[in-house]
Amino acid sequence: MDPAPTISTQGLTRRFGELMAVDGVDLRVAPGQFFGFLGPNGAGKSTTIKMLTGLLAPSSGRIEILGIDLNAHPVEVKRQIGVVPEGMALFGRLTGAEFLSFAGRMYGLDRTTAAQRAAELLDFMQLADQPKKLVTDYSHGMQKKLALAAAVIHGPKVLFLDEPFEGVDAIAAGTLKSMLQGMIARGATIFLTSHVLEIVERLCSHVAIIHQGRLVAQGSLEELRAGVEAQTPAGSGNGTSASGEKLTLEQLFLRIVGGERRTEQELSWLG
Amino acid sequence: MTSALHRRSQLSAIAELRWRMFVNGLRSKRGKMELLSRIIVTAAFALGGLGSFTVATGLSWFFVSQDKTELLPLLLWPIFFFWQVFPVMATAFTNNPDSGELLRFPLTYRSYVLIRLAYGFFDPASALGSVGLLGILLGVSFGRPSLFPWTLLVLSTFALFNLVLMQTVFAWLERWLAQRRTREIMGVLFILVMLSFQLIGPMMERVGRKPHPEFSRATQIVTQVQAVLPPGLAADAIAQISHAHILVGFTSLLFLGALALAVGSLLHLRLRAQFRGENLSEAAARPSVAQVQGMQVGWNLPGFSQPVAAVFEKEVRYLARSGPMLLTLVMPIFMLVIFRLGPMNPMRPSNAIGRTPDMAFPGAAAYALLVLTNLVFNSFGGDAAGVQFFYASPVHFRQIMLGKNLTHASVLVANTALAWIAVSYLYATPHLAVSIATVAGLLFAAPLNFTAGNLLSIYSPRKRDFATFGRQNVSQTTVLASLGVQIVIVALGAAAFAIARLYRNLWIATIFFLVLAAISIPIYWSFSAALTASRSSAETPCWRSCVGRSYPKV
Repeated sequence: MDPAPTISTQGLTRRFGELMAVDGVDLRVAPGQFFGFLGPNGAGKSTTIKMLTGLLAPSSGRIEILGIDLNAHPVEVKRQIGVVPEGMALFGRLTGAEFLSFAGRMYGLDRTTAAQRAAELLDFMQLADQPKKLVTDYSHGMQKKLALAAAVIHGPKVLFLDEPFEGVDAIAAGTLKSMLQGMIARGATIFLTSHVLEIVERLCSHVAIIHQGRLVAQGSLEELRAGVEAQTPAGSGNGTSASGEKLTLEQLFLRIVGGERRTEQELSWLG
Repeated sequence: MTSALHRRSQLSAIAELRWRMFVNGLRSKRGKMELLSRIIVTAAFALGGLGSFTVATGLSWFFVSQDKTELLPLLLWPIFFFWQVFPVMATAFTNNPDSGELLRFPLTYRSYVLIRLAYGFFDPASALGSVGLLGILLGVSFGRPSLFPWTLLVLSTFALFNLVLMQTVFAWLERWLAQRRTREIMGVLFILVMLSFQLIGPMMERVGRKPHPEFSRATQIVTQVQAVLPPGLAADAIAQISHAHILVGFTSLLFLGALALAVGSLLHLRLRAQFRGENLSEAAARPSVAQVQGMQVGWNLPGFSQPVAAVFEKEVRYLARSGPMLLTLVMPIFMLVIFRLGPMNPMRPSNAIGRTPDMAFPGAAAYALLVLTNLVFNSFGGDAAGVQFFYASPVHFRQIMLGKNLTHASVLVANTALAWIAVSYLYATPHLAVSIATVAGLLFAAPLNFTAGNLLSIYSPRKRDFATFGRQNVSQTTVLASLGVQIVIVALGAAAFAIARLYRNLWIATIFFLVLAAISIPIYWSFSAALTASRSSAETPCWRSCVGRSYPKV
């Protein structure tokens, strides 16, 4: 029997006037999964993650996080999750330590514990060597690391990350990845959206793809490959590319979403 | 495309951008409210402008037709003071969008300066100052039509000087307040200036007791000094030409132009630095390994939960690092000094305010409440994208607002205490009954302000940068609403004190205020209780304004 899902949605829908941003999404993320949520621009990823973290009310549908109904108990859910939203949610005129200590206390830690964890996190993230620097003066990569540190300071069971690797250099990305993998090893569940499919392929055990507000695929990479195979004409390959290699996530994504590159369109004025 | 054409194209694109932003803003209800508020505020300013225009026209006509042009400084000095002081005193009405955002485009330095000056020209202080100058131009021209071209030239130079000076003051204040060290130097200078004002009282008393010669000598010195300052120079340029002293008049205009150039070069220093991408961050130099950060335990606030204490600490730290905001907060003390020199001067007992010096403390306390408006009525403005954190955290909004309001209350208490000390030094120790009545008044006024402020902070916010000065795009709805609340508070306060004085019993005011406080405090609590974390928070104006993303976004 499957364990109770950490994240589950039923018929999750969000309308903005006549625009159906998210249309009847049924998600199921099992405990301990590193779950990648993919989709082209404007597919509904950010809207979905905002609904899952209690930042945006759904038009209809049900969300359960760790078995708790988000609509009925939003504060209880927020206490158990960590979020790195798109804009990182940082307070620019605090130092890194001040911000982390603040974040810890907002999540219910006592002052001493918050300070201890803040110091440890800053050290782990290699942000401890400039204690007086304000967050506003941090580089983009440093801000991403700090945002992640703030999201995990209370030891959440579920972590939601919206584009955590966007604009992050290889060194900072390495630090982030090692922390996330450590969390997965300790049993946490991570739900992330990213446009960098190579990273998702390397990190995530399971993936869902949303397109025009609808969930078009969900499962492990192997399950996705099998799904693509089932939809392709017989004898054209077992989830493999023309060269016989296994399809990469990018290839799978393009086949599922049906992305066609407009290579023939001319922009003659470009140099 | 030639560079001139290119520049013109850029400037028209920026003008169109402002227009499109305005028109697109009208799509939302909040935008329409904003337009309505702007119309009301503009109408109020227009009335003020009409008044100053009429007075300036009438008096300048009178001075010229009676051949008393040496009195023209009496018109130009108030305009000068208003132009320079009003934007600093009432930053809420200052409407100078941050032109620095345009620097990402290939803008020439000249275009950048022009945009900065154009934004400054549309500031209410500039508009009203210009209307006053137009009044003088018309008055002088009616009095003696032959003076029109010369007066036009002189007043245009004077207007340009004022415009450039206002931008220079903003730019340099921002520079000095941006970093801890320069801020500390500014703080010390401010305290020294305040202390030096202590000498004014004894000096005035000495002058008052002695016969007039010394006083008239001082007046002579002041007259001579003002004559070489911009308003005096402008007035002199017109007066001298009216007396056919062409060379002297021309020299005065030349001096005025030279001063405008000197101030302009100071502005150039600042704008050039901004144009080149100056970073006034407070980043410390990379420390040695030994300096690596230790554990920093947060503040404890007995009786309050961890989140409330954390928000309080965060707000105080923000304020402490926000020089421009701190400057605004010390304004009540500055105003006490100004009043000490002006209407509440003991040398002028005939003045209405001068007859009631015991009202200095309530007045200063009311002003302390007024300067909090920027903070209380837009309390998420400085948080920018950090607002998301509040929505994502497992904390009810009432706790967040409580933390913020505690900070506001602390600032109010500190400011009121400072005002009490300043009043004691500058005037006389406020009577016990006055002091208690004032505190009771604040007990009523503060919760009322906080209630309205919390609602407007959520429903009509504007993102603002605490590090900039006079370059904020404020919400006119908030300005108007906060003004309405302040007018009600001041009217009730003035009525209470007037009745109490009528019956010669200030305790009447205390009781009146306590009764009002008994109403306003429960109102505050009930509104606070209603502020729970909104489930549709990403759609609230607060989110949209501060995070910068508006829905629908998918």
